[in-house]
Amino acid sequence: MPEIRVVNLKKYFGKVKAVDGISFDVKDGEFVALLGPSGCGKTTTLLTLAGIYKPTDGAIYFDDVLMNDVPPKYREVGMVFQNYALYPHMNVFENIAFPLRAKKLPKEEITKKVVQIAKKLMIDSLLDRKPSQISGGQQQRVALARALVKEPKVLLFDEPLSNLDAKLRMMMRAEIKKLQEDLGITSVYVTHDQAEAMTMASRIAVFNQGKLIQYGTPDEVYNNPKNMFVAAFIGNPPMNFLRDFTIEGRKYAVRDKAKIKLPREVEVDEGKKYVLGFRPEDVVIKEGKEEGAIQGVVYVLEPLGRDVIVNVMTDKTRELVKIFAEPGDVPKEGTEVSLLLNEERVHLFDPDTEEAIL
Amino acid sequence: MEREFKLTFFQRNSEKILNTVIFIILIIVTLPIILGYLWLIIRSFSVDVVRGFIPTQFTLKNWRFLWETMEGYPNIWKATLNTLWVALGVMGIEILTTSMGGYALSRYNFRGRSFTMKFVLVLHAFPTISLLVAVFYVLKVTGLLDKLIGVILLKASLEIPWGTWIMKGFYDGIPWELEWAGLIDGYGRMKVWWKVILPLVKPGIAVTAVFGFLSGWSEFIFVNTFIFTQETWTLSKYVKSIIGDFRFVDYGLVTAIGLFYVIPTLILYFLVSKYMIRLTIGGVKG
Repeated sequence: MPEIRVVNLKKYFGKVKAVDGISFDVKDGEFVALLGPSGCGKTTTLLTLAGIYKPTDGAIYFDDVLMNDVPPKYREVGMVFQNYALYPHMNVFENIAFPLRAKKLPKEEITKKVVQIAKKLMIDSLLDRKPSQISGGQQQRVALARALVKEPKVLLFDEPLSNLDAKLRMMMRAEIKKLQEDLGITSVYVTHDQAEAMTMASRIAVFNQGKLIQYGTPDEVYNNPKNMFVAAFIGNPPMNFLRDFTIEGRKYAVRDKAKIKLPREVEVDEGKKYVLGFRPEDVVIKEGKEEGAIQGVVYVLEPLGRDVIVNVMTDKTRELVKIFAEPGDVPKEGTEVSLLLNEERVHLFDPDTEEAIL
Repeated sequence: MEREFKLTFFQRNSEKILNTVIFIILIIVTLPIILGYLWLIIRSFSVDVVRGFIPTQFTLKNWRFLWETMEGYPNIWKATLNTLWVALGVMGIEILTTSMGGYALSRYNFRGRSFTMKFVLVLHAFPTISLLVAVFYVLKVTGLLDKLIGVILLKASLEIPWGTWIMKGFYDGIPWELEWAGLIDGYGRMKVWWKVILPLVKPGIAVTAVFGFLSGWSEFIFVNTFIFTQETWTLSKYVKSIIGDFRFVDYGLVTAIGLFYVIPTLILYFLVSKYMIRLTIGGVKG
């Protein structure tokens, strides 16, 4: 399986810069997710990898071969589309057989391979149905089978799960991950769902406005977000931000009576105001007013069963903060509370550049 | 205690009343057409009619043109074949060009695309009559005067703009992903068009084919102007010559031939009506 290398890739549509100079690499057999909001250029990047779009500038290598001008049919890629893109006039068998017929394989071999992959994906009972006669989940499997049957060297996914209902999505998530691990095909997976990216990929590329913001393991992008965009995009609920903290003696973030110790010393402007960030799970809620803590009032509760999201409205600044708490010892709405942060896991951002300092 | 929600008669029956009104309007509007066809059928099978509608005596004499060549006119079957040839010719050329032209307008972003699309529409807006003199000259120079192929080419070229627009609409309804999937699955663009896209615009092809066929089948002006020899007459010219000649008009004969002329059209409409309905709804769904 090839290694994919994207170097300073640009794709413009007229004046619109869909992809504006991104570089990343996908290792042999790796599963990489391109994550970002809609219109951030992730799908354009994927289609450029597939050969549907030609890059405006930059280079795409499969191993050491420059692929920029190679038509899709020579790239040996398989692709699964969001709307599955099954051929409506062909039945399931013909859909899966389509890429094999393009290769002009003998008839018996086509039948053998189609049946084999259909069995693997548990759709072998549907082979004579038309796509319109099967469910969304089954269509998804057919699309997957069609992408896999030609034994591609690269697999591309364009939001393949977003048309499925939540339960099926969770199931297919694990299934696709397992399948990719078993087959070891180099894969690029486009999604706007951070949970999908976190659970499936070995590395995540976070996109925004045509640029690659951060590229790293799920752990890295979650625990060390490069800027406020990444911090806010990853995690559910996302990271909480509190504004207007000043830094005292390089070690403390201070606002009003709240004084939070930072995990390490920072080199910053003492007079400037910064944004404090913390994840919903890195806080303990305590009733009453604690010395040096951020204080607020419980605004509303969102029970999730396993835990409860406590929404706290901070005093004076009236910022809404979401915090995970165990069900059982949750303060009632309207209670005055203090937020005790896990000081090891506090983040600090520059409000002008939005870049992370901590 | 239960109480009734009070409604006036009109509030209670508003939908029924509206439907009835619509129905009556539709009947009034379509009545002349229905009566026309009715008269056509009745008249063609009777010796005479009184008060316009009441048949007197059943006869097949009006249909005699089917089994005998009438004096002064060409054989009806020869004229029918000519008409069929024109209809199929226009249809064939139209399918061929619009299925490709519509695809190009829908999928390719080439220089002058929007100009082409507008120009094509303008072309369609030309009244045929205004072209007659110029076209006469063109046909004369190219040696296509008094030949059906000349009429076919002419008629097709005037039908193509509209057909191309229709086909473009159908192509626009097909998601790009299907085309991309075909390319990734290992075919070139032409093959993908042939194997994936074309089967999906079948309804569009059916629609343009029918309209092409019918416009060829019913063509009158070009035939009347550019065709002289009786051997190359089509049915429209045949009908016209029976109505518009020096003798008194034999309405029995006119209605029978008219009916004969209209039958293929009706059959065709029945066959493809489901595609026609889709045309009005717009787009194709798999």
